[in-house]
Amino acid sequence: MLIINCPYCGPRDQSEFSNGGEAHVKRPDGSKEIGDREWGEYVFIRANPKGLFYERWVHTHGCRKWFNCVRDTSTDEILVTYKLDEKKPNLNNFKSVVKTPSGEPEVGSGNFTVEK
Amino acid sequence: MKSINLKENQFIQFHQKISFKFDGVKYFGYKGDTIASALLRNNINLVGRSFKYHRPRGIYTCGIEEPNALVQIISEYSEPNTRATIKKIYEGMEIESQNRWPSLENDFGSINNLFSPIFTAGFYYKTFMGPHKKFWKNLYEPLIRRAAGLGKPPKDFKGVSNHIHHNVDVTIIGGGLNGLLAAKSLINSNYDVLLIDYEEQLGGIINNSNKISLIDNKEPKDWLKETIQEIEDSKNIKILKNTLVTTYNYVNHLIAIEDRFVGSKPIEGKVNSTLHKIRTGHTILCNGHIERFLSFQNNDLPGIMLSSSFEKYMCRYGLAPSKEPVIFSNNSNSNSLVYSLIKAGLKPKAYIDSRSGEEIEPNLFDLIRKNDVPLYTNSQIKGAFGNKKIEKILVEDSSGALNEIKCDCLCLSGGINPDVHLFTQSKGLLDWDEKDLTYKPSKPFQPTITLGSASGQFNFDNLNSDINEKLKTFKVKKLDVKLELNTNTKYHIEKLWEVSPQKKSLWAKSFIDLQNDVTTKDIRQAITEGFDRIEHLKRYTTNSMGTDQGKISSINALGIVSDLLDKKVNEVGTTIYRPPYAPLSFSAIAGRNCYEFYDPERKSPIHSWHLKNGAIFEDVGQWKRPWYFQINKDESMHDAVQRESKNVRENAGILDGSTLGKIEIKGEDALEFMNLIYTNSFTKMRQGSARYALMLGEDGMVKDDGIICKISDQHFIATTTTGGAATVLGCMEEYAQTEWPNLKVFMNSITEQYATFNISGPKAREIMKKAFPNINFSNEEFPFMTFQFHEFNGIPIRILRASFTGELGYEIYIPSNSAPKIWDNIQSFGKEFGLAPYGTEAMHLLRAEKGYIIVGQDTDGSITPIDLGLSWMIGKSKKDFLGKRSLTRSDTIREDRKQLVGIIPSNKADKLEEGQHIILDKEIKSPVPMLGHITSCYYSSTLGHDFALAVIKNGHSMIGTKAYASTSSMSTTGVDIVKPVFYDEDNKRLVS
Repeated sequence: MLIINCPYCGPRDQSEFSNGGEAHVKRPDGSKEIGDREWGEYVFIRANPKGLFYERWVHTHGCRKWFNCVRDTSTDEILVTYKLDEKKPNLNNFKSVVKTPSGEPEVGSGNFTVEK
Repeated sequence: MKSINLKENQFIQFHQKISFKFDGVKYFGYKGDTIASALLRNNINLVGRSFKYHRPRGIYTCGIEEPNALVQIISEYSEPNTRATIKKIYEGMEIESQNRWPSLENDFGSINNLFSPIFTAGFYYKTFMGPHKKFWKNLYEPLIRRAAGLGKPPKDFKGVSNHIHHNVDVTIIGGGLNGLLAAKSLINSNYDVLLIDYEEQLGGIINNSNKISLIDNKEPKDWLKETIQEIEDSKNIKILKNTLVTTYNYVNHLIAIEDRFVGSKPIEGKVNSTLHKIRTGHTILCNGHIERFLSFQNNDLPGIMLSSSFEKYMCRYGLAPSKEPVIFSNNSNSNSLVYSLIKAGLKPKAYIDSRSGEEIEPNLFDLIRKNDVPLYTNSQIKGAFGNKKIEKILVEDSSGALNEIKCDCLCLSGGINPDVHLFTQSKGLLDWDEKDLTYKPSKPFQPTITLGSASGQFNFDNLNSDINEKLKTFKVKKLDVKLELNTNTKYHIEKLWEVSPQKKSLWAKSFIDLQNDVTTKDIRQAITEGFDRIEHLKRYTTNSMGTDQGKISSINALGIVSDLLDKKVNEVGTTIYRPPYAPLSFSAIAGRNCYEFYDPERKSPIHSWHLKNGAIFEDVGQWKRPWYFQINKDESMHDAVQRESKNVRENAGILDGSTLGKIEIKGEDALEFMNLIYTNSFTKMRQGSARYALMLGEDGMVKDDGIICKISDQHFIATTTTGGAATVLGCMEEYAQTEWPNLKVFMNSITEQYATFNISGPKAREIMKKAFPNINFSNEEFPFMTFQFHEFNGIPIRILRASFTGELGYEIYIPSNSAPKIWDNIQSFGKEFGLAPYGTEAMHLLRAEKGYIIVGQDTDGSITPIDLGLSWMIGKSKKDFLGKRSLTRSDTIREDRKQLVGIIPSNKADKLEEGQHIILDKEIKSPVPMLGHITSCYYSSTLGHDFALAVIKNGHSMIGTKAYASTSSMSTTGVDIVKPVFYDEDNKRLVS
């Protein structure tokens, strides 16, 4: 169970929050012509990296505010949370553990089944 | 195995006899005994049958690591798989052995042992595949389930469990020597400390062995008493006893289970276990070590146990399970057992060590020589033999000669492992120690500190410096404890994982996992078949997958695999240790969140009226909604629904629609926001009018529907489906915050603030006139899809003219507190017009006759408004709304999409069913191309036959053609595909 630092309420238990997937995915402007590929990617395609990831969360059982964070998906560590109107932090500011604590290689999981 | 009682100690009282029953026979034990120690006192060692081969099994250990001695506690709601080595007995306790039939002594399933050559690794995967897949479900699975397994599920469970949350600075897990020393150094510091131990008495190794002779020049027991007193007196340390930490989560979140009735029968209705959820700054792991066993032929016979467990029975329970056990070891950890036996006036029958005479500790050597114990160095046990108990062993001595030794007990020690389960659960890294032949904690991932043998310090040399160094961050005063030991404790071990059997035979078994009946042969076979990755091997052989998680054996398996693959153990890797550390009952996890508290029930303000008037309820989300009303006990659901719907068509009905989601939207930009959220355009809509609206997902699929009332461009009230209210509000909030933060708009749920009554039927206007005489309900003054605000006896109400039944209808919105009064009023005014309540089932029937959809029943997340024939609801001139662009994706404009149609049986007497597939051919010949399926289906007394709504491929262009509905008996029913409207197609009844 994580502790998530809501930018409005402070640190709270994970059970108060809901995950909203990748952050900073821009919705195409509906007033302009949108190509099939552009729209399809917006609706269906999301990044799924192992390591640092911009992510959206909402404080569902709290202030009900949406906010963004940087989470290391290999360790679940939430490195920073910030409000929607704040600039996204540079990922170079964070040290990614990447190698999961169980000592798996950077690609794939399980025991050394995937060579990078 | 003949046991004897030794001296009484503070844990066991020989003057307090306790009687209990095991498999129906009455026995006596003493206060403080576990089931295992009490059974051993009664010379019972056969306590269960094994999982797969039904081999006789005895008590192997004296603690949490027990693989064999699992019993069913009949006197506690028949709780299964209880570890006999932990559970304390109490007066009148009833215990049964598991996995045997008809009795433990004569078990029918032991025939499996004869067939064991075929029950090898991957047996289930390879066998039972044919001749037909039905064989698995109907024959193999029930047979296997009966034969294999452990206990039976509990009966009439009435236990209660509480959850307690803690927020502390430091949690010390394990109250042994190191745990107590860590706690001692934190006494009266500024840290809030929890000290947790799963035993009733703190002390660990001090209670369980004779290793330590003096602590600070005091008797260990006296030192223990003083130290515990000091800790108990401190202001900042809380001790949780009988509490087992099962889980170590991220951000130092621990879960521990406390047994509240140790040594007494749980009282019904009282809390019998407490689940502690602990959030801690630092975790100090002092949870010690676990001894390993060794693999050789028949190493599972009753009478074989771990040597440290034998010593624990002596020191803690005042019981020697045997007067003259044979000891077999490859390391120095069993030294203290020899010491303890001789101190108690007993003597090992033989001491067998795989190490050479030079490697054996000199003081052990002296002790053995002085007491004339037969010593076999450089020797190994080739096998143990006996009928349901150990009777003799074969020892291969240093010269290679075989010696037979008769014995009733064999103590094993294959080395010790730090108990790393919790450390690895915390995502800490392990390192293989080639000298001590075990995995030890290396790099912690969280603020985790390991002390003592839990950190791999098997000697006491660095006790003070280790603790002082690791607790430096707390800036507490340094410890200086002086220990004196009874035996030399420089830990030394020689590599030995398995002794190969004397004679190779198909039936010779040396076990690597006792609980899951995995043999070393299975490991070999799995590797031969290519399962050489340790995680694959574990799953293929089920090694260490029992409830004990292979606590005494998993490292041995890694050792054997590394030898077979000719790799180092750290190259083989280790499987991941997952929580819980030991089984945890579902009732403890559920806590108070069960029965009526499992899920909240939501009730409409009129609920008590429904109860009094024969309502049968249906769960819609968390809501209790009247499904139908029974006018008398004999009325069937079919009759009630037909009566209710007929009454709506002929007179009028009233429906409690209070559960409908209601959302109020306000703000300068409310109009623009609503235009973006819903498909419809609200721009040209007049104030005071209402509109049926659809909400899509960004993928263009219908997500929810409802009626939107426009009070002004800055103020709307939307209704949602009963189940979709929270999602719709969440979606609105999300888009308002994330996509259009520039729009000034606010929204809030008003579902529970307002009750909603729906009065519907040709006589609705008469009833409304009578109930609200000051309001003009004429068609001109109050047209269809408009609403008005009024006051009735000082209560503000809103009336909306809308309909979900196809009849003239009014919806009244009333503040919830005043709702019952107005409901009663309408009932009394409506009586003369035949007004009667109707439930959700009649409502569903009526709306289906009219072809109105229910989102989630007629749609399933793959249906667009175009598929529903609702293109008219799409505001095409709008630049943007949720999912707009998706409506012109290549997939959504495909012609063969499933589209909503009506279905009636070609022969009116035929019946239809929800879920039936619509197909083109009368004959069912596989493969059958599926056109689609029936989503809603009812009998209509208005039409006089069954009718249905269905989604079928290219349905709109198939209207007017014939098809077939497949039945569950592999036949078909001829159907006509029609427009999805069966009643009042030109809406005359709605608008007049």
